[in-house]
This record gives sequence, structure tokens and C-alpha cells, in this order.
Amino acid sequence: MSTAGSPWPERVRAAFTDAIGEQALVEEGFGPVAVDVPGAAWHDAVALARGELGCTFFDWLSAVDEAGEGFRLVCHLARHTPGDVAHLLVRTLLPKESPTAASVADVFPGARWHERETHEMFGIEFTEDGQVLALAPLLLPEEFEGHPLRKEFVLASRVAKPWPGAKEPGESDAAAPSRRRTRAPGVPQPGEWGPHPPGGSDG
Amino acid sequence: MPGVGLGNLQRLAPKPARYVLNWGRKYSLWVFNFGLACCAIEFIATSMARHDFIRLGVIPFAPGPRQADLMVVSGTVTDKMAPAIKRLYEQMPEPKYVISFGSCSNSGGPYWDSYCVTKGVDQIIPVDVYVPGCPPRPEALLQGILKLQEKIDGESLAERYAAHRGVDAASVTRPLMAPPGAAR
Repeated sequence: MSTAGSPWPERVRAAFTDAIGEQALVEEGFGPVAVDVPGAAWHDAVALARGELGCTFFDWLSAVDEAGEGFRLVCHLARHTPGDVAHLLVRTLLPKESPTAASVADVFPGARWHERETHEMFGIEFTEDGQVLALAPLLLPEEFEGHPLRKEFVLASRVAKPWPGAKEPGESDAAAPSRRRTRAPGVPQPGEWGPHPPGGSDG
Repeated sequence: MPGVGLGNLQRLAPKPARYVLNWGRKYSLWVFNFGLACCAIEFIATSMARHDFIRLGVIPFAPGPRQADLMVVSGTVTDKMAPAIKRLYEQMPEPKYVISFGSCSNSGGPYWDSYCVTKGVDQIIPVDVYVPGCPPRPEALLQGILKLQEKIDGESLAERYAAHRGVDAASVTRPLMAPPGAAR
């Protein structure tokens, strides 16, 4: 390959642009080199990273709930050469309504474990030959309902009992300028979820 | 043995004999450490040379729950682990004692609002002594053991079974819970 001697980001850019086209966006930030690919090209991108770029080390695969945008599926790969490690993040944004991606367990068999976890934590479906895989729960108890790492997953404990102590400016005894309260993910507005507290108060 | 209560002999024994029985039991607590998180390290520290709870008669060499008198739950109890704790607790022979060691097993601790953490091990099994702290110092566990020994010293097994457990021999010897994944 002509870019074999060039810096790692350039090699990544060349390989993904050749194979997937302009839709593959390579980002060199402060972290490892990251490449964003369309959801349909997810499997090809991971296979390309392993085959052409030599990223034979599969570290992990998980997702991020980007709230309004959808779910970002992330896979961390690395290429080991004597005396050097080159990192690569492969990412894709999946729609919030039906997050589905092709399974990469045929590229990295160890990815199945991570796909099962991502499936139960985020509700992302993985397909193999067009068929949606029935992935068995991995970490959650059998009777667990919902996908706990989604932002909209309600933390029932936080509904039943307010957070002890002050967490925002203006909540403590010391007078501080009041400002808009931020709400942690999974903590609904008072009265929005669950049974109403006795006495009719909305606290 | 349906209908046969536990602790009858102790109830009928004269007071000095009861004292000796309790004294013997409180200084021979074979302990079984249900270590789930960092608190287990403090438990181990308590068992080692500096704090050495063997001098209090707590023996950390129980081969398993079936040979143990005391279970120390040290660490974060998750909903996934809760059935295993209940199962192993039920395997322990009576009379059995539980020390809940650390904030997590007392109440959920800093993870009280998590989706997967049980809000205290006392939601699944009865607890005799709670040791607060995050993690508690080994001295706190020693104090907890002393408190438990005080409790054993003053107790009557017949009353313990009647008030605390509310069970007779038949319910103590009921079949074990099915292991995870077994056909129900």
C-alpha cells in the first residue's frame, strides 16, 4: 500500500475514503483517531479496520445515548506493531427509533459479548445476514425491564427520595445567585412519573 | 420433622447451662465472608495479623456456607447477586448470624440510586449487626463482632427462632432455591 509509511491518521483517512467514500469522516482530536461511518457501512468499516489497516486488537464496543440525535455505536480497535500501538475508534450514529446495526462478531468473535451488553443496556439490535439476533441478557437480572443506560430510563430511587445534600448553586444555605436548575438524566420532573406523593405536595 | 421446634433443649436447660452454651457459641463463630467489593479488603485486613479477629473466636476458615455460623456481607449487593446471597444464607445451618459490613450492604451506600444495586442486604436476609462506614475501619468490624457476641450472650435460641425467624424445623429444612438457569 502506498500510504504504508505515512502517519496513522493519513492511513486511516486514505483507507476509509477508498472503501466507503466521502461519507467516512476522520477526526483527529485530542483522543485517538476516530472515524464516523454511516450505519449501513458499520460492518464493512470494522472489517476494513481489521483487514486493511491491521487493527487486529479488539478492545471494546459500546454505545452512547446522544439524546436527541440517536445512539452512537463506538468500537475501539488497536493496531499493534513492535514498539508501537495505533488506536482507532470506529463510530456510527444510529436513529433513535430503530437502532439497528450489523453484528461484527464474524470479524471479532469476542465482540459478541459486547454486543449482548450493548443490546441490553441500550436496546440496540444487531443483525446477522439481515436477521435480527436474539441476544441473551448478559449482566442484568432476568426480570429486568428497560434499558438502563438510555437517558430516558427513570431512576425510581431518585423519584422516591430527593438527592440528599446540595448539588446546585443556590441550593445550599449560603446565599448564591439562583440560576436554572439542571436535571440529571433519569430524574423526571416532580409529579411527572410514578405515584403522586401523599399530601398533594409536588416536592 | 414437621412440628418440632428448634431450641427446645436450650429453653429447658437450667440457666447456668444456657450461659455456658451461649458462651461456647459466641467464641466459636466460623465466619464466611461474602465479599463483593472493596469492603472485603477491610474484612481481610481484620482477619490478618494486626487486627486478628481470631483472638475474638471468629474463625475465617469455613470451607463454605454449610460449615459457617456467621456471614459477613461486605460490599455492594446488586440485584443480580441477591439470589446468590439468599441461596448461600439458606445453606447455612441454624443458628446463623449476619453482619452487614459497610454502607453499600447496609443501605446501598453511594449507589443507592443505581438501577442495579439492592438498597441494603436486609431486604433479602435478616441482619443482626450493621457496621457503618465507607469502608469501615477494621476496628469497626471488631466492634461489630463484639456487639454480635453481646447479642449471642444474652439470647435464648428458642426466643430467637420464635421472634426473629418465625420458623420451625420444617421450614428450615425446606428445599433449596433452584440454581440460576435450572428448569423451574
